[in-house]
Amino acid sequence: MSDETLTLEQRKRLQEQVLVKHHLANILTHWFNVAMWLLLLPTGIGILLEKTYPASSTAWNDLMRQIFGSTASLIYWHGVWGQIWIAVLTFNIFVGFRKYFLTFASTRMLLDKDDLRWLMIKPWHMLGLRKHVPLPPQDAYNAGQKLYSYLVVIGSFWIGLTGMIMVYSEHIPTSWQWVIQWAMPIHFLSAGITFAGVIIHVYMGAIFPEERQAFFSMFTGKVNGLYAYLHHRKWYLRKMAEKAAWEAEYRRRYREPAQAEAPQASTAPGTASADAPAGD
Amino acid sequence: MADIKKYGFVIDPRRCIDCRACLVACRAEWNTPPGQTRIWVHTDGPQGIFPAVTQTWVPVQCHHCEDPWCVDACPTGATFKREDGLVLIDEEACIGCGLCVNACPYQVRFRNEVTGKADKCNACFHRVDRGELPACVATCIGGARLFGDFNDPESPVSRAIKDQVVYRPITPEVDTGPMTYYLSPPDASAVQVSPQPRKDLPAEVFWRKWAIPIVKVAVGATFLGQAGAFILQLLRGENEYEDGAV
Repeated sequence: MSDETLTLEQRKRLQEQVLVKHHLANILTHWFNVAMWLLLLPTGIGILLEKTYPASSTAWNDLMRQIFGSTASLIYWHGVWGQIWIAVLTFNIFVGFRKYFLTFASTRMLLDKDDLRWLMIKPWHMLGLRKHVPLPPQDAYNAGQKLYSYLVVIGSFWIGLTGMIMVYSEHIPTSWQWVIQWAMPIHFLSAGITFAGVIIHVYMGAIFPEERQAFFSMFTGKVNGLYAYLHHRKWYLRKMAEKAAWEAEYRRRYREPAQAEAPQASTAPGTASADAPAGD
Repeated sequence: MADIKKYGFVIDPRRCIDCRACLVACRAEWNTPPGQTRIWVHTDGPQGIFPAVTQTWVPVQCHHCEDPWCVDACPTGATFKREDGLVLIDEEACIGCGLCVNACPYQVRFRNEVTGKADKCNACFHRVDRGELPACVATCIGGARLFGDFNDPESPVSRAIKDQVVYRPITPEVDTGPMTYYLSPPDASAVQVSPQPRKDLPAEVFWRKWAIPIVKVAVGATFLGQAGAFILQLLRGENEYEDGAV
């Protein structure tokens, strides 16, 4: 995304600015998710026999069984890791529920008018077309990330629910056997659709040059001001306003000289300097 | 004797007196829950008009088919066919979904009410592996049930069918290659000797016709889309100050 109103000096100044976008808990949860997907996806594909349901390959089926020693062992570890994944995510949601989850869901996940416009323009930009049409400003997460979050939440819910049904299937009465029978294709469908989203997520987050800051922020938690201003302007301006208000409060409380009034948050980029307090 | 074995049953209904010692032996061997059994002795009752009245008892178990539909239906491989022809269930790998139960045209499979897993005759493979006969065969006092290696011409089953007319429980619609040979017609209307064509369950249809194609299209389309975007990215190059990328 480009912004013709920014001078080169402003761009350089913004690049030196550092904003915290992710807490340590977010970063750890994200990479925990990555690790679990790396364990669960290959084993899940390995369980499903190609000759029965052609969504895998016999070579992969055999390789997974050789690594784990047997079909039973492969299924066992897939189930164990799946339950760890569910337990950690559930713990995160419930422990962080009051402090983060409701706020996050109500302020960061809902699509507004700018988001809808962004969704109509962004695909053209990715193809290198209609670059003259500016993208509307975005919050801490852009509309694509918000849509992806819906997919992940809904997909994860069904993956987890159907997975638990299969892990504890022996406790389901035979008259309810249809629940197990439907759990299998729904588990497969949910994982497959979510994985399709993961492919986009990985490209946009790790490879697409305009979003590369987002990739590094998943290690450091931080992004530079230029990225934040260009890609998440609503969030950037809000952080600057919060920072200015915090500074004003600090000066008022400790009666620092020559600071009679709090400075107003500026909408001009790069005017509030480095190291804003924690982000989302 | 051939190196590769081909196990199966030979059953002579004329020798069965319906003592059901085989059912007792099987239950004792496998502790099958009450109300469920791995083997049967079927009869359609007395046939004909006095004094020409006959009654046939037909011993039945899993036929360990050469082309077992249950193995094809199992999504995980928990049901499998051994090299020696025995169709077995890896209970630890079974999730009790019942697709194999539905797939078996002979309905010799059931979901064990205690374990919640698929269950059926496994020809007492642990006994067979140490050179013994399945419990039902070893118990049969009339010699109606025989078991052995059809690749061994000296085995009891090979000798029993040699120069004999044999009957297999198949129909024009259903021939899964059952490895049970009857020495007289298995005249019983029970499904275990009168196989029924398979009907896929709604979940199986959804899985094959919808879930797998949808996932393949979704994953394929997104992968190709992102690959295309990556190629465009390489062609366009990157601009440090333009994108805020670094």
